[in-house]
Amino acid sequence: MGPVKQRIANEDYVTINVGPSHPAMHGTLRAIAYVSGETVLGADLEIGYLHRGVEKLGENLSYHQFIPITDRLNYCSAIANNVAYEMAVEKLMGIEVPERAQLIRIIMTELSRIADHIVLIGILGVDLGAFTPFFYLFIQREEIYEIFEWYNGARLTNTFGRIGGVEAPLPDDFEERWSELKKGLDKAIDETDKLLTHNRIWMDRTIGVTPISVQDALSWGFTGPCLRACGLKRDLRKDEPYSLYPQFDFEIPTGKHGDVFDRYMIRMIEMRESMKIIDQAFAMYKELGSDAPLMAKVPKIIKPPEGEVYHAIESPNGELGFYIKSDGTDKPYRIKIRPPCYMIFQAFDELIQGEMISDLIACLSSLNIIAGELDR
Amino acid sequence: MNEWTIAIIKVVFIWSWTLLIATVMTWVERRGSALIQDRLGPNIAGPFGLFQPLADGIKLFTKEEFAPKHAHKILFTLGPVLFALQAFSAYAVIPFGDKIVINAKEIVLQVADVNIGFLFVLAVGSLAVYGFVVGGWGSNNKYSLLGGLRATAQLLSYEVPLGLAMLAVCMTYSSFSLREISLDQTGTFLGFLPNWGIFKQPLGFLVFIVAAYAEANRVPFDLPEAESELVAGYHTEYGGMRLGLYLFGEYVNLYTLSALMVTIYFGAWHIPYIDMSAYLSPFAYGIASFFVFFIKCAFFLWLFVWVRWTIPRFRFDQLMGLGWKSLIPLGLLNLFVTAFFIQISL
Amino acid sequence: MAKPVVQRKYTLSERIYLVEIIKGLGLTWKHFVFNFRASLKRGPHTVPTCWQYPWDRREIAPIFRGEHMLSLDDKGREKCIACGMCARICPAQCITVKKGKVQEGEEDRYAGKFYPVSFEVDLLRCIFCGFCEETCPKNAIMLGQGYELAQYQGKDCILTRDKLLENYRSALESGNLKPPRKKVPVVGAKEKKPAKSKAQEKTEAQEA
Repeated sequence: MGPVKQRIANEDYVTINVGPSHPAMHGTLRAIAYVSGETVLGADLEIGYLHRGVEKLGENLSYHQFIPITDRLNYCSAIANNVAYEMAVEKLMGIEVPERAQLIRIIMTELSRIADHIVLIGILGVDLGAFTPFFYLFIQREEIYEIFEWYNGARLTNTFGRIGGVEAPLPDDFEERWSELKKGLDKAIDETDKLLTHNRIWMDRTIGVTPISVQDALSWGFTGPCLRACGLKRDLRKDEPYSLYPQFDFEIPTGKHGDVFDRYMIRMIEMRESMKIIDQAFAMYKELGSDAPLMAKVPKIIKPPEGEVYHAIESPNGELGFYIKSDGTDKPYRIKIRPPCYMIFQAFDELIQGEMISDLIACLSSLNIIAGELDR
Repeated sequence: MNEWTIAIIKVVFIWSWTLLIATVMTWVERRGSALIQDRLGPNIAGPFGLFQPLADGIKLFTKEEFAPKHAHKILFTLGPVLFALQAFSAYAVIPFGDKIVINAKEIVLQVADVNIGFLFVLAVGSLAVYGFVVGGWGSNNKYSLLGGLRATAQLLSYEVPLGLAMLAVCMTYSSFSLREISLDQTGTFLGFLPNWGIFKQPLGFLVFIVAAYAEANRVPFDLPEAESELVAGYHTEYGGMRLGLYLFGEYVNLYTLSALMVTIYFGAWHIPYIDMSAYLSPFAYGIASFFVFFIKCAFFLWLFVWVRWTIPRFRFDQLMGLGWKSLIPLGLLNLFVTAFFIQISL
Repeated sequence: MAKPVVQRKYTLSERIYLVEIIKGLGLTWKHFVFNFRASLKRGPHTVPTCWQYPWDRREIAPIFRGEHMLSLDDKGREKCIACGMCARICPAQCITVKKGKVQEGEEDRYAGKFYPVSFEVDLLRCIFCGFCEETCPKNAIMLGQGYELAQYQGKDCILTRDKLLENYRSALESGNLKPPRKKVPVVGAKEKKPAKSKAQEKTEAQEA
């Protein structure tokens, strides 16, 4: 008997299983909702349906071989995971990445941030019944995939970057692709705005649905857009800056109540801020010329010194951290991944107490729970 | 040809016409939604996918009819049957056109000109609730039950604004019979506005169209079959022809409601300012009135599809709030205003 | 742990649902008209966002990481020397190589002293990361543009050496080969001139 069942033992309820495979495509998670009429009394959560033993795999693969595995964590924004892992190893080894490589990393991370937010907003729309913004936004995501394909060779699970830098310069036609993509993205975000943001039906469905206060959010361990929606201005890019982010000029949007509408609006605004960052980064990249180094001097077999490191970046979902403990050999002793949505999903039961079934779906969608990251 | 033959021919013709429209509507829905969403719909089965409904129909007919193990055997089949029954009977009183003269015999293009007209439609339409709740209960599935209950509450509560709007129309035209209401919509009033229902009853039309969307279970009111929430609501467990009856019944309901809207508010078969019967032979006039009616209906059918793919859906308590707290007061207000205007004989 | 209470404030035009709904309808109507006109045009790929596979195929980047192939050099000899580097670096351990010594008389078939007696790539395990291609010292194994990899039987998914060579030959014919990877500039490294073979030096001396 889970704690939820003890809490509601005296009430009249029906068990509804929002099962591992459900039409709202979030990955494989299970929420056993206890419902009285249309009001949800609580939910038992079951995760682990997508557990692949990633951290254990890391103990048997070398540092370089682990890079494709990190791709598969948050598969909507694969590059952010790659960059986080590589930065952690570089911090452990004390390698300094050349500036041109850092700019490419920043451009690609921000592109994958846009891709991740597109997924969330599209799926949030589909769950709430607005089917068309999904299509308008996903067409732009295809264009982002094309940029990845022409850079690296793969669309979704790009093993981007190497320890010490990146593996290729930006393709020659990146500038035209980016300017077209910018126009398309602007148009798609505007259309989604017009269709959704001021529509009273959408506002009724999302404003005031599962709000959370800042203290509660912090005590659960929220980070990322879900925390910023509560009103706290915390973003690792500004608070604990890494890479070249101090040189860029961008805003951090915050919400007010932490409800579904705030989480949705923050992601819409963050997409535009990411576009600004990419513009600035690309301008700096063009100035560097094509001879600037892309890789630091790294030995062929990577054997970091003994020690441990924790490094986190601001992934689209929140603080994605890698804790790597090395014992001097070429395979890590332990890799632990701090997935942002694990902490956020813990709060789900508290968030939906007293809400209705439709709100359960809206809340699950807006928290951006990605099963690959949740279960590793 | 005696009366019975004519009646049977009318019934068969209108029944098959409605079924054809329902089938074509599936194609319109799929292709229209695709073109709105920047993609192509079905385009392989026939030119522009026109044979897709045929393919769908064949699939539904030839699928294995099985019921889940613990479903109630009678209720499981009865649900779709009840639903289809009411769907296929409700349009019997809707005039599809004016008189047509064949072999010097005047035939009214309406299956039955009952003098309580739209009360019949309302009454038969209420039977749709049985279709949902019986199907939802008989499936022995929590999701279906939830869907069925939601459908019941929704349909019952939105019949009141529907009735109130129609009541105001009946007051304006002093008749319940749909044929008389359509005949009354010739000419102009206030000098230049055609004598159509929408100009006399704009608020009533608003109430009616929102209530019609709710009665038809279409977005934004499609909670009973909300895909992402309840898997598929009351028709989760259905497949094969039983599902076919639900889906076709829904499209036939749409057609009935559009036809009602056109009859009451948009002048049935009249073109504004032009009296067709003065220019055409009686036979051609009959056909022309049928087509004018159909074109107006087609616009409303397209509107159903268009709105579905544009706006999100309501949450259940907001839906009920809209029905009871907004539409019923508006309907009552409409009644009072209509009564006032009739009293000062406008 | 109380939940904050949120008030909803609407402007007048938001309160009446219809204004925003009609604006939204206008937007979808624009899309509809554009796509309707596009769908009536003849020919494939008229609606810009729709590729109707298998009649239209999207343009694949030349550096796409698809199906593997073992390449030949410009004299038609197999480049692979069965060193096993690709098998060692593969994160999914999907490559199995068996080494054999090149016999007398087969020298025009193989470029090196050793050759792979059997070279198997298990497509069901491969994660298409491209490390094998990156680490191969002779640029023998390459990832091409094949992405239609579905088979009916499991054993057809294991690529043997002959299939890999065949992939290369068909890629060569259709002109889809990608150029060899350029080395990225490394911090502080001087540009080394590529080692010239004796024949090249002779021709350069003759030209000079």
